[in-house]
Amino acid sequence: MNTLIAVASTVKAPSVEWNTLIPYFVLAGGAIVTLFASLIAGRTAQRGLVPLLAVATLIASGVFFAIGLHDLDANVLSGALRVDDLARVFSLLFIASALVSIVLAWRSPTLQDFGRGEFYSLLITVVLGMALLASAQNLVTVFLALELFSIPLYVLCAADLRREGSLESGIKYLIIGSLGSATLLYGLALTYGATGSTDFAAINVALSSAKIGDDALLLVGVALTFVGLAFKASIAPFHQWTPDVYEGAPTPVTAFMAVATKAATFALILRYTGQAILPIVDHWQPVLAALAVVTIVVGNLGAMGQKSLKRLLGYSGVAQAGYLLVGVVVSSALGARATVFYMLVYLFMNVAPFAVITARERAGAGEGFDGLRGLGREAPALAWSMTISMIALSGLPITAGFIGKLFLIEAAVDGDYAWLAVVIVLGSAMSLVYYLRVVAAMWMGADATASSVASGDAVLAGASPEADSSKHPELVAIAVLAAAGSVVFGVWPGPLLDLARDAAISFLQLVA
Amino acid sequence: MVLQGILFFIAAAGAIGGAVAVVLLRNPFFSVLALVCHLFALAVLFLLLYAQFIAAAQLIVYAGAVMVLYVFVVSYVGGADEPIDEGGGAPRALAPIFAGALLVVLALALAGSALTLLDTNGAKLPDNGNAYGTPEQIGELLLTKYLLPFEVASFLLTVAAVCAVVLARRRRGLEELTDDSPLLGEGLGKR
Repeated sequence: MNTLIAVASTVKAPSVEWNTLIPYFVLAGGAIVTLFASLIAGRTAQRGLVPLLAVATLIASGVFFAIGLHDLDANVLSGALRVDDLARVFSLLFIASALVSIVLAWRSPTLQDFGRGEFYSLLITVVLGMALLASAQNLVTVFLALELFSIPLYVLCAADLRREGSLESGIKYLIIGSLGSATLLYGLALTYGATGSTDFAAINVALSSAKIGDDALLLVGVALTFVGLAFKASIAPFHQWTPDVYEGAPTPVTAFMAVATKAATFALILRYTGQAILPIVDHWQPVLAALAVVTIVVGNLGAMGQKSLKRLLGYSGVAQAGYLLVGVVVSSALGARATVFYMLVYLFMNVAPFAVITARERAGAGEGFDGLRGLGREAPALAWSMTISMIALSGLPITAGFIGKLFLIEAAVDGDYAWLAVVIVLGSAMSLVYYLRVVAAMWMGADATASSVASGDAVLAGASPEADSSKHPELVAIAVLAAAGSVVFGVWPGPLLDLARDAAISFLQLVA
Repeated sequence: MVLQGILFFIAAAGAIGGAVAVVLLRNPFFSVLALVCHLFALAVLFLLLYAQFIAAAQLIVYAGAVMVLYVFVVSYVGGADEPIDEGGGAPRALAPIFAGALLVVLALALAGSALTLLDTNGAKLPDNGNAYGTPEQIGELLLTKYLLPFEVASFLLTVAAVCAVVLARRRRGLEELTDDSPLLGEGLGKR
């Protein structure tokens, strides 16, 4: 047995790059501080201090990420993380998305049962997990970061403790999400078995040198990894949970999930395909292309018959995941840039619909199409933002959505996948059907409501026109801001495009 | 070597038998016991591969802690009286097909790698130069190369505990909305 007790002679402690890690520490510390601050009783602390701490944490972390932009890329902590522009841009996106969610949740009745501190703290933890995932450089970090953002998200989906739908959504997401995680873990384990390493860079080296590209173990591992990621990114045919969970979860959480979860998974997919398994690109490219087509078709068809706005946005999110996947399929700098850019503008396009849903839910009108009737007359600011967002989501010109799709199409054509570009265009045409239906419901269904306003019914229902926009100025403000963003960046996409280009170059130059 | 071979086949039979029994037994309590058998057999297999740390962790964490929890839950909610519900319809009929497909895929993957090792004698006894997978090496890796995942794991456990407490709190029942209740409480009653 003595031979077993091999004493490690000199263990060298890893160097810790504190400067680069500051934004992550801010998030981790902020989550804990927010949690403890919520123990202070009293209305001021609960409604003022706790949200303020959460917002301050997110903004501070965001500032540190932003300061770091264009810094030298750093491999941190023995190569567990790589904090480059891709990681920073995506982290800023997660933070912005969480801030939107906090604004939507700020005066929500949900939070009191669940606990304000717990809600904000878990939300910050989710952001931390996503930020870690976007910079992960080895399979172990990938899995832990994925779980770090998934587990609090399962619970956040069930945050509306008084509503059965929310609890059901939490359970459903937990079961499907765990299945996805397990599949992913299986894939990662087989990949490790085939290549002998968990580091992205070492996997790349093993794949390009050792001619194991046709190894069944490796291919099954990569395939299972993609299946696991497809569950998280709601890529068809692994998307079935999306509409159900979106519908059941509290709206602020859905708003966050719709953008941030997708962005986090796509950040990982970009890194994994661009850094780790690039040498066997011929094997996965056709598979991902097929998945993209299926996802675009299924998402757009599914969205058409929906009665609930949240389900519609769920299916629309599936279709958008298909568009985003096109940028990954071509596996070029152009493709990565297009995916990152589309993800950035997706944030702007998605905020207004969820702000409107939140406003209608608070007015007691529900989140179905019926709740939208007459919105154009009652709250023109909300209705206009919603209209612009719908037009942007469908990809019509002078909106950011149009520019985003244009870059995706450019990348597809450049990467010899011109037929995928055709699918994007056809998908966008299909999507007009349901996006315009939403617009029509807002502006054309005013008759019934107009008469009820006159008779005073709507005042009883808490949906009088005056009260509607003055009661939640924060919702109107954020919807208008986001809609303005989707127009401004549609006319002048320069700044976002630069960010996206830097992000794409920062991780692709590794392999070039 | 002969002893190793015998032990391997006993453990392998135990692992497969235990796993099959978990699925086939009607009584949840016996299913849990079968799972304990399965996990114990897996620990023996790990030991045969000279992965002492994983074998010990398997016994302590799974066969020990997790299974005790399962036994408690099953006896607490009286699972023994209620056999697992049949029904389910189409998904239930499809499930074996998907499980079979996954089995085929995994078998393909393993056939490519594991079968080539059939003629070899399994893991070699580690010596000082070849200390792969010893507890010392794992400990060292956790504090050097895998320092970040190690710390993230601890944070993850903290967060999971917070999540569990938040959800368990509603067992006491939901209180009436108080002063802290929303300004817009009227929306709530309509849900």
